[in-house]
Amino acid sequence: MLEAILPPNEQQRLAVLLDLKILDTPPEERFDRITRLAARLFGVPIAMVTLIDAERQWFKSRVGIDIAGSPRSTSFCAHALLQDGVMVVEDATHDARFSGNPMVVDAPHVRFYAGHPVSAPDGSHVGTLCLVDQAPRQFTEEECLVLRDLAGIVTHEIAARQLQDHLAEQRENETWLRALLENAPDGVMMVDEDGAIVSLNPAAEALYGCTSADLKGRLARSLMVESADGIADRVHAGQTVMMEGTGLRLDNTTFPLEFSVRALRLEGKLHYAAVVRNVAHRRDSEAATRERDARRSKYLATATHELRTPMASVLGFSELLVKREFDQPTGQELVNIIHAQAKVLISVTNQLLELARIEAGGRAGLRMGTHSMTDVLDQSLQTLSPQGKNARIKLIIAPDVPLVAADPQRLQVALANLIGNALNYSKADTMVTVTVQPQEHRGLPGVEVRVADQGIGMNTEQVIRMYDAFYRAKTLPEVPGSGLGLAIFKEIIELHNATVEVDSAPGEGTVVSLVLPAAGGRR
Amino acid sequence: MTEPAILVVDDQSELRLLVRITLQPLGKIATASSAEEALLHIRRTPTRLVVLDVWLGAGQSGVEFCRSLKQDPATSGIKVILLSANGNQPDIDAGMAAGADAYIVKPYSPRDLLATATKLLQ
Repeated sequence: MLEAILPPNEQQRLAVLLDLKILDTPPEERFDRITRLAARLFGVPIAMVTLIDAERQWFKSRVGIDIAGSPRSTSFCAHALLQDGVMVVEDATHDARFSGNPMVVDAPHVRFYAGHPVSAPDGSHVGTLCLVDQAPRQFTEEECLVLRDLAGIVTHEIAARQLQDHLAEQRENETWLRALLENAPDGVMMVDEDGAIVSLNPAAEALYGCTSADLKGRLARSLMVESADGIADRVHAGQTVMMEGTGLRLDNTTFPLEFSVRALRLEGKLHYAAVVRNVAHRRDSEAATRERDARRSKYLATATHELRTPMASVLGFSELLVKREFDQPTGQELVNIIHAQAKVLISVTNQLLELARIEAGGRAGLRMGTHSMTDVLDQSLQTLSPQGKNARIKLIIAPDVPLVAADPQRLQVALANLIGNALNYSKADTMVTVTVQPQEHRGLPGVEVRVADQGIGMNTEQVIRMYDAFYRAKTLPEVPGSGLGLAIFKEIIELHNATVEVDSAPGEGTVVSLVLPAAGGRR
Repeated sequence: MTEPAILVVDDQSELRLLVRITLQPLGKIATASSAEEALLHIRRTPTRLVVLDVWLGAGQSGVEFCRSLKQDPATSGIKVILLSANGNQPDIDAGMAAGADAYIVKPYSPRDLLATATKLLQ
């Protein structure tokens, strides 16, 4: 017995065979009908479509034989694979290549064999269509031609099968691709050479608030306020170009737009693929960040100014006192200024620290508890009493005032700042009325503290700016203070989830009403 | 020798006093607490030097006032010293770009202010 040599293109042949994804697949009617036909046509008991794998032959289709395959070493087909035409063995027992072959000696007792190679689409022989008989027989020229044609049909079916697989795969890919485009969170558009929209996905429709039919054929550049002409060179150079601008809808409304675009060739023509997205959310947060930074830097500049101004007095006047001679009253005046400005300096420093502590601590920095508002108010008034101003305060406490959830120390500072302002910005012979009474807070029980003065009042701009750090109504320059009191008041009140209303007009006094949520208990 | 005409513009009375006493050796000194007041004074009284706070309060900028003085041919000859709590280079550059002849950062030494004013009046 002689084993078949390997074909010269064995490696590529095996790769192609694997790529067909046909080995060890279930029987298919397209091949079975050919083997049935061949067995009947040639009057043989056995017909097979054999595929030659690296170490075995495997039968994709078989008639008259029960095994699914056998070793390549004893395969007749491995020999037939090597030639281009039909290989015929009329009697294996008289052929040196096969006489000792176990397939001949034992079952299935092969005597006659005729096989023709079958090919993959690239022409590589991947197996055979073969006929086997247990008795020797002749094979005419005419029969060879018929077997060749049948093998040709098998080759054709192998190609058709592969094509079908590819199509199915492509369809699956298309399904995925379509699902991806249909559900992509960003708008996707295809634009043709002339800049007209060819297709778009639902996100793009939603972005522009209209249907695909409304947008198809429109010029892409008509969907943006700004001109994108500047990016053409880069897009044509093959770059993906990203740009921000203002999206323009068909109804002329606009939105903040970001898009990226790149050029591609589709069926030989230039096209553009674009991704479009509404970036309103991001622009808002960028604007908020810029605003916060600007506020912070203005705050810092103001704080510097408020600290350096009293420092200038302290340093300047003390240097003058050291270096120059002054008469006694002038000298005393300068010393008084130094003392007063040093006090301003320490007060501004303390208030800045207080404000920074409250801001940094947030709500977590509060020591919340359930307290009586009148107790907190009493403490506040005591901190004001050294100024001898308590006589000007008229206190009205309503019955049945609920308890509040509060950090008493902080709330006390807030109230002292508020009432202190009312006292400072009104004449010494006028009263400041402080009322504590039950009041609804966002639909739930709450406590109102109302502080009403008969002072100079505020205009609209002053009301708007009253909480700004260092903002001071300059109408009464003699009023002491750092301009931080109400900024601190506002921080504390906000941390307590309280609401504040201000009612004021120049010359008519000011009423500030703040309402804190009740803690639940009653007093 | 004519008496140097100096004007101090600051919205803080203590600081007006500080500059007034500091520059006393140079002669008589007028004061103003706002840009309008200062402009009125300059129109009526020959002025050679303005010591100007950058932060005039009530939204007024000493830098802007300095620029307007330097742009008006009638007042462009007046020397200007800017006083400011902001010592950042961009602030100093902005002041000098407005035409200021000197920029002094608070807190400052009265000796330095006097020396600068003396030099500018020579």
